[in-house]
Amino acid sequence: MSAVPQSAPLVRPFVLNPGVRKLAIRIGTGILLLALWEGLVTWLAPSYVARPSGVARVLPRVVSSAEFRSDAKVTVVSVFEGLGIGVVLGVVVGLTMGRLRDVDALLRFYVSSFFAMPLIALVPVMTLWFGYTGTVRLVIVSFGAFLPVCLNVYDGTRKLPAQYVEVADSYHARWWNVWFGIALPASLPYLLAGFRLAAGRALVAAVIAEYLVSLKGLGYFILYDSRTFHQNEAAVAVIALALLGVAINSAAGFATRRLLPWYRPS
Amino acid sequence: MSFDAGRRRSLSVSLLGLVLGAGIWEYVGRHTQKSSFASFSATVSALWHMTASGELPRALRSSLELFAAGLGIAIVIGFLLGLVMARIEIVRTGLEPYVAMLYATPMVALIPAILAMFGFEFRAKLIVVVMFGIWPVLINTLEGARSVNPELIEVAKSYRSKELQLWGHVIIPYTLPFTMTGVRQSIARCLIGMIASEFLLSANGLGNLILIYTQRFDTAHVLAAVLSITLLATLLMGIGRGLENYFARWKVGV
Repeated sequence: MSAVPQSAPLVRPFVLNPGVRKLAIRIGTGILLLALWEGLVTWLAPSYVARPSGVARVLPRVVSSAEFRSDAKVTVVSVFEGLGIGVVLGVVVGLTMGRLRDVDALLRFYVSSFFAMPLIALVPVMTLWFGYTGTVRLVIVSFGAFLPVCLNVYDGTRKLPAQYVEVADSYHARWWNVWFGIALPASLPYLLAGFRLAAGRALVAAVIAEYLVSLKGLGYFILYDSRTFHQNEAAVAVIALALLGVAINSAAGFATRRLLPWYRPS
Repeated sequence: MSFDAGRRRSLSVSLLGLVLGAGIWEYVGRHTQKSSFASFSATVSALWHMTASGELPRALRSSLELFAAGLGIAIVIGFLLGLVMARIEIVRTGLEPYVAMLYATPMVALIPAILAMFGFEFRAKLIVVVMFGIWPVLINTLEGARSVNPELIEVAKSYRSKELQLWGHVIIPYTLPFTMTGVRQSIARCLIGMIASEFLLSANGLGNLILIYTQRFDTAHVLAAVLSITLLATLLMGIGRGLENYFARWKVGV
């Protein structure tokens, strides 16, 4: 073949800005997924099953209804309450286990067993202890949040470089200086990773508790509306829970980048 | 204090912790009503009774079938989808935000919808378990396959590896340790999905044992079922950790 030297193209080829391209692909995929959902449900499922067009139709009404708002508030408040209790206890116990060998030996078995098991198995027996009340939800959410935070802070404290403590000792640091001035800040990345896990577990625990104990909240809203063939309304609450999960996750990610710019996850 | 003495001390403190825990459990159980809490000895005898009558082994088997099938499907789909997303940029860019969103969604919220679409038999429960378990495998596989050293791929390509050979000889072996981290996390999530679907869809297995004995206020049997779930979970997590450590031996770098 004769080699014709390729001349530079006269018109610059159209190249999409990478950010715009990414956004376009994501929106396109979203539309595709919604269309798939709509099509499959229309084709295969009974008419009461939730579909995007139905959800969009009921969305304004549900979101502006007082019932949905108060249910959402109850769930959000109890998740944050439980997370708060769980994180504080988790930090205290995790730090203690990480610094004191005897406490570690005493508690490790219990913490790791409860961490491994599905905690929601305890919800029914908790109704015998606390009755059909919001206490069940608070306890299970707090406990569910406590375990990952505790284990992660423990891990972080155990991995504290020995030199840090040696330097502190040579300056006659008191134990609380070592615990709260060195060990706790050094385990912050672990704490934040634990917090992400805790948030996920707290949401699952709250919804399960609402299902099984029939507590007012987004979980019960979903259960009730699904049982009365209001699947589209229920889907709105599912989306609200998903957004809550995403929001807590992004907040934790933001906090990691903002508070720990020095930390690079391996 | 020598290393050995330190170990011996923590071992004996651990044993003390176990004895103390069982003692407190026994004491509290003996001093509360039977309908709210059962003693350690009553729980152990209920466990023995349930095992001897064949009730517990049957429940265990039914739960494990659901768990194993769900975890297996979750691993296969998560692994393949993770690889495809890692290798094909447009699929990855498109799906990434939705995967992250589903990962953050409490999957229990979807159980009523799954009930409406698929009923409450085994198939629906299987879908629940898969939905719980798929995400950690997918995300860890994606992350692993994305971090393959580009030089490895270049070398393979310069020897004219086809895409399939590249997967088989470079990408999959490199990714497996990451996937196993995901598998360990998926085991925990599938257990939650298993219990949740047994509570909320057709009641079988270990979840059902908890429900029926709670309705009868028979706390000894409830606690025995919870105890056996805990033992099962600890065992499965141990297997998961073992797999992770085994595959971590050839993890590059880190």
